[in-house]
Amino acid sequence: MSSLLIVDDEPNVLSAMRRLCLNAAVLPAIPSPSIVTFTSAGDALAHLDAHDVDIVISDYRMPEMDGASFLARVKELHPDSARIIMSACSDIDGIVRAVNHAGIFRFVSKPWSDPDLKATILEVLAHRRLLIENRELADEVRAQRDVILRQKLELERLERESPGITRVSWTEDGGVLVEE
Amino acid sequence: MNADENAFRDETAMSAKSATHCGRIADLDWIRALYELGQKAANGAHPQQVSQEILEHIVRGFAAESGSIALIVDGTTDQLELAAGTDLPSGLVGKELPRGTGVFGHVVATGHPVLVNGNAAQTGLPLRGSAERQRSTHSAMCWPLQVAGRTIGAVAVNRAETSPRYTPDDLEQGQALTSLLALVMANHRMHVERDARILELSTLNATMQRINGMLEDAQNQVIQSDKLASIGQMAAGVAHEINNPLAFALSNLGSLETYLANLFALLDAYVDADAAIGVAGHAALGAARKLRAGVDVAFLRRDTADLVAESREGLLRVKRIVQDLRDFSRGGAEEVRQTLDIHDALDRTLNIVRNELKYKAHIVREYGALPEIECVPSRLNQVFLNLLVNAGQSIDGVGTITISTGVDGDEAWIAVADTGCGIPPENLNRIFDPFFTTKPVGQGTGLGLSVSHSIVRKHGGRLDVESEVGRGTRFTIRLPLASASGPAAVSDVEKRAA
Repeated sequence: MSSLLIVDDEPNVLSAMRRLCLNAAVLPAIPSPSIVTFTSAGDALAHLDAHDVDIVISDYRMPEMDGASFLARVKELHPDSARIIMSACSDIDGIVRAVNHAGIFRFVSKPWSDPDLKATILEVLAHRRLLIENRELADEVRAQRDVILRQKLELERLERESPGITRVSWTEDGGVLVEE
Repeated sequence: MNADENAFRDETAMSAKSATHCGRIADLDWIRALYELGQKAANGAHPQQVSQEILEHIVRGFAAESGSIALIVDGTTDQLELAAGTDLPSGLVGKELPRGTGVFGHVVATGHPVLVNGNAAQTGLPLRGSAERQRSTHSAMCWPLQVAGRTIGAVAVNRAETSPRYTPDDLEQGQALTSLLALVMANHRMHVERDARILELSTLNATMQRINGMLEDAQNQVIQSDKLASIGQMAAGVAHEINNPLAFALSNLGSLETYLANLFALLDAYVDADAAIGVAGHAALGAARKLRAGVDVAFLRRDTADLVAESREGLLRVKRIVQDLRDFSRGGAEEVRQTLDIHDALDRTLNIVRNELKYKAHIVREYGALPEIECVPSRLNQVFLNLLVNAGQSIDGVGTITISTGVDGDEAWIAVADTGCGIPPENLNRIFDPFFTTKPVGQGTGLGLSVSHSIVRKHGGRLDVESEVGRGTRFTIRLPLASASGPAAVSDVEKRAA
């Protein structure tokens, strides 16, 4: 499942994007999309307090809070979320700020091209999954390393208590070979 | 001085007893001839020559041997210049006389005529020059030339010893004439001056016209840049408002297209199923069949596809216009300048439009030697593309597009010339105006050339056009070779646009 949260003060943009993301006939298709939309950044933040999402897409120019500030807040709440900013104007300063402070994955200009936008979403999803997987693998490795370290300490303790015990040779049937 | 003068006048009056007839000065013919001479100057005769002729006429009129005319140099009160002379050493005419001396100097200073008989030195006149010059004058008269109370010069006639001396009567008779003579001389002088003024004025006029033209060009450039900049600003402002509705309308059309495909596929399935059921069918099918008979499904399928395609085209056109307009507002500061091989860029652009031009024009490349130029390559390519597409569109049937390049001083030039329909003179100064187009609706936004103009200007260059209706058009891009000097002239425009 891919969960998307979209914020734009223009409701028609939201419904057009919802249609596009849900429509598997416009390729590439987004696998089992789940979409929530908000016309207010504040409402979206309230939702994000309680819910996790994969991708957050926000318009840049909005009345109460601009997209860069909104996505910067999203980054704090959900560092793992992928963030895309959209803009109908080429406000270079704003975009620079968004990229630098809100850790934006992609910038998409309006009007967008449907296939390009969907490809971008998929790409960002894949990228995000890789990042998460990477981190999970790293966590796993770290956890295993902990286990190994703990076992090693135990062995050292046993060796101190009964020297030679860690170097015991076993017979195939479980017997202990004692070297004389 | 005054006393001397009076004494002198008395003396001359006394010596006037031996009256002699003075020649033809009373002849009407002589007077008319004098007038005619005065008019000659107006008809473009050489001024010095006319002065000479007038003097000779006077000399004849007073039955004199020789004579001379001196005129006061413009802008002075007492500087005399010899305007004409007979029996004078050559080269003296046109020369200035020493100030305040001589008979002329005296006459001009006092405004009174002088008659000299015998030794001039004895007259007490402030004579100039060496001893030889003081040779005995047999008989001479000198009158001031006065116009409206102002002395403009003096005229003198001399008689040789073989002739009788002049008398005070002669002097007086001559005095009557000199006012006439003064008028003729003044007239003559005015003609000369007028001609000189006219010449001066017409040169001045030509210079003014040239400067005016330059100012007009500069002003047009400024107006053009201002216009583009303000349009760019406006475009940047409305771009947001237009792009949002454009975004969802365009995207919705795409969704609609897929929805329609689904609906029609579904409809097809039902129609097929209906056909399989056959004539009998279920009773409920009756209503559906009746409805279907009244609907031209094939038409709907075709036309909805057209409808969506046409609507999309319309929206894409709006998108392009907004994009083009926004180009005006871009300062170019955010764009990275790179060195570009212009010929490479031209060839690449040609590849892009090759298909469009293939059946319209034979392409001739006349590349000169060009160094690499520092520019924003994508923007310059946009200009090349614009000019090439325009050239192609101007050609009716099959023509030739010639792309030539070269270096001219510190500028590189790139020219795109076509053998197309040309641009009428009344449109020539409007082609860089935003939204000016003569193309059919939908084929041109009227922004291509103004965007190109703006791009070239931002590169510190200019875009010129020459065109002849029926012969073709030639656009020439001129770019400074030294890129450092480029943006200086443009930064103002950029600041205004920002």
